[in-house]
Amino acid sequence: MAVPVQFRKPPLGGIGKKVAYYPGCSLEGAARAYDVSTRIVAKELGLELDYLEDYNCCGAMETKNVTFWGTMLLNARNMSLARQQGHSVIVAPCNGCSFSLQRAEYFLETDKNTLDRINQLLQEAGEKPLDTVPHTYHILEWFYHEAGPEKVKEKTRKPLRGLKVANYYGCLYTRPHFYSRTYSHLAPENEEQDRPRKRETADDDEHPYYMEALLEAAGATSVEIEPMHTQCCGGPHSLSDEEVSEKFVMMILQTAKRNGADIIATECPLCHASLEMYRHRLMLKGVPDVDVPAAYFTQLLGLAFGYSANDVKLKDNLSDPLPVLKKLGLA
Amino acid sequence: MAIHERSLVEPERILRKDRLVIDGVDVSGDWNLIILPRVIEDYDLSLLDEILQQPEGKTILQCYQCSYCTASCPVHNYWDERYNPRHFIYLARLGMVDELQKRADVMWRCVSCHKCTHRCPKGVLVEEVLKAILRVLAKRGLIEEYPSKKFDKFFLEQVVEYGRIEDGELLFGWIEKQGYKVFKDPILKKPIPLFGDIPEWLKTLAVKPIKNMNIDFLILNAKHMLIHPKTKNWGKMKQVLRKVLQEEGVELH
Repeated sequence: MAVPVQFRKPPLGGIGKKVAYYPGCSLEGAARAYDVSTRIVAKELGLELDYLEDYNCCGAMETKNVTFWGTMLLNARNMSLARQQGHSVIVAPCNGCSFSLQRAEYFLETDKNTLDRINQLLQEAGEKPLDTVPHTYHILEWFYHEAGPEKVKEKTRKPLRGLKVANYYGCLYTRPHFYSRTYSHLAPENEEQDRPRKRETADDDEHPYYMEALLEAAGATSVEIEPMHTQCCGGPHSLSDEEVSEKFVMMILQTAKRNGADIIATECPLCHASLEMYRHRLMLKGVPDVDVPAAYFTQLLGLAFGYSANDVKLKDNLSDPLPVLKKLGLA
Repeated sequence: MAIHERSLVEPERILRKDRLVIDGVDVSGDWNLIILPRVIEDYDLSLLDEILQQPEGKTILQCYQCSYCTASCPVHNYWDERYNPRHFIYLARLGMVDELQKRADVMWRCVSCHKCTHRCPKGVLVEEVLKAILRVLAKRGLIEEYPSKKFDKFFLEQVVEYGRIEDGELLFGWIEKQGYKVFKDPILKKPIPLFGDIPEWLKTLAVKPIKNMNIDFLILNAKHMLIHPKTKNWGKMKQVLRKVLQEEGVELH
């Protein structure tokens, strides 16, 4: 791992073993594999996911461009549901969802007027108003902080020996730090609150390393693809701006392939779908060095914990990582 | 503080002489390029006021034009140099609507990767500010409808209607909006991805789960396409959302 040593010492714990789980729309359909494998990994690591009943879409990166208040309301409803289930922490496995919830958290925490108006709207819609604003973490951060590489090592029964993994984090996992780590620059008085600061439990924002730490603990070898590990995949424009998305995905895949990666590990259903979709399109066009398959990091962890390829739904991946894994005797 | 923008200087204002003699003195060399001054009268400061009224646009005044956002931007670096976040903020603050209009074809290309916001040393929420500028311009009818806005609205409609989105409907609905003819079954009017005039890549991609014999995945997604996943107790929320959208001046179909 090429991450400087001083970045490797965040205090562990502090999020809680049992949290509200906001899967997001994608994980109920096309990204079912991520949902299934996430539950497997959480169970193995001794963590508990409390499914957020009757949640709604977070608005992703799309609705926020059209409506501010609508997007705030969508996220506030999910937060309200989490509060009703007695949680003050939400984890989301999707970069888009965790971003949206963190963004809402930022605006609700830094502006009292926004919070008041949203609470009023929530009441109008027949939901309970927010007493406190719950914190949101990406599920990868939660795994790292509540279980950590040691626990993963302990649980690994079938190490991913010989598998060269390119860890792809995507944009919004740590960015922007105003939302994901600290939101103090607009309201300095928030610094004095005794609530836990997010700063203490978040991945490094320019050089994220949690995923490679977990996968290396499971026996895999990490391939350095910096700076492409946080390069955009086209994200919200993957359908509406095809030229740009295609170019970005090409850069990510080629960097991974040319650095010798067998597989790309992802942690966001949107990035995953975008990589797989454009990988297919680029291969149809005959672009060289793009045939790296993608798998969710939880699928790889699941395999290492001794689950079968069918248990972690590897067949769901359109880029078909099975041949690569079979060749190494991992699936 | 004057910032000299090369791109703000029109070609007709640049005088270039091979040999320049003024009052009998040869001043060629360093002096052979002259930019004629321009008086800007068509600025519109109410643009800035309106951006400041947007909840996301409030941080625009903190910008001190260091250009860290532009240096980080993948669209600027890997796609089109004309996409320049710092410049857009500069123009918006001066109220130079016509210059912004000239860049309307690249302004919407932001992929929301938030590198700009993340790295801004002054705490400007750059991505949000740019979206606020774009929204204000669109609201005033100064720029044409752009693809990502169409998609955003299409997405929002699904969310408001059902509370959740469904990947299949999003993908095929969008393909249909692009002018492709999606084949639909005659009874339920739901898209069947194997036939019809859809892009080749989509046809070959949709066939993969069938080739892999991934039956339960196919059944799950077919079920979602037939019965759209919904949030329960969405009725009241839908009403409130529609009211909020109406207040913000967003029109849905």
